[in-house]
Amino acid sequence: MGKMKIKAKAKGDIVKVKAMFTSLMADSEEAEKKKIEVEYITQIVGTVNGNVVYEVSTSGFMSENPLIKFKFKGGKKGDKLVFTTTDNHGKTQTGKKKIK
Amino acid sequence: MDRRKFLGIGLAAFAAIVAPVAELNAIDFRATKPKAWEAEKSAEAIKELYGSGGLKKSGIKMTAPKLAENGGSIPINIKSDLDLESIAVFQDANPRSLTAVFTIPKNAIIDYDFRIKMRQTAFVTIVGKTRAGVLHSTSKEIDVSIGGCGG
Repeated sequence: MGKMKIKAKAKGDIVKVKAMFTSLMADSEEAEKKKIEVEYITQIVGTVNGNVVYEVSTSGFMSENPLIKFKFKGGKKGDKLVFTTTDNHGKTQTGKKKIK
Repeated sequence: MDRRKFLGIGLAAFAAIVAPVAELNAIDFRATKPKAWEAEKSAEAIKELYGSGGLKKSGIKMTAPKLAENGGSIPINIKSDLDLESIAVFQDANPRSLTAVFTIPKNAIIDYDFRIKMRQTAFVTIVGKTRAGVLHSTSKEIDVSIGGCGG
């Protein structure tokens, strides 16, 4: 697993978020074909001030380096958006970004 | 001694901040519904995840290309004004059907963009469950000219 790219921008009371996570998202069949290890993100959770604003459980059929976009209410400029991803090995990774 | 105390307080405060984060995940669908992730066909996977209730063909809007040139990265957008508790993505193109399950926080705006892989032309089905327990769905066939998953 590698880096996380996060962009979050507040407009009025809505925050728009764009985030990219680094993962091969290889399920067992694909890993076998490419002769790589099975590795994919199983869960992505986004929080602001301790509140969950985004939560998804995923399988290896999401595209490589998942790119997600969403909007939420309840965040403002300067708040920190924290993403936590969990992969199939149970490894977690966190990334933070201030809302612009 | 003072320094030790200070560090102790700092550590306790840190733990207090970190601890709730670990418990935020309301539902880990992988742990609660392991069978749904193994199902090969959408119909089966939907049944495993949401039970065999009827599906209402309304309320959810999916935007996806009719023809996808690259099966490895198909952009999909789902929108809904319903008060949904969770929304799941199924497709019949890959060895297993269930692709993603979103847990929707209260008062959230349901407008999600993401990308999926598809090996072949198939139907993509989105099923959402309202907080009242009603299932809504929509589906669309996507033509894939070059398969994803390294195929």
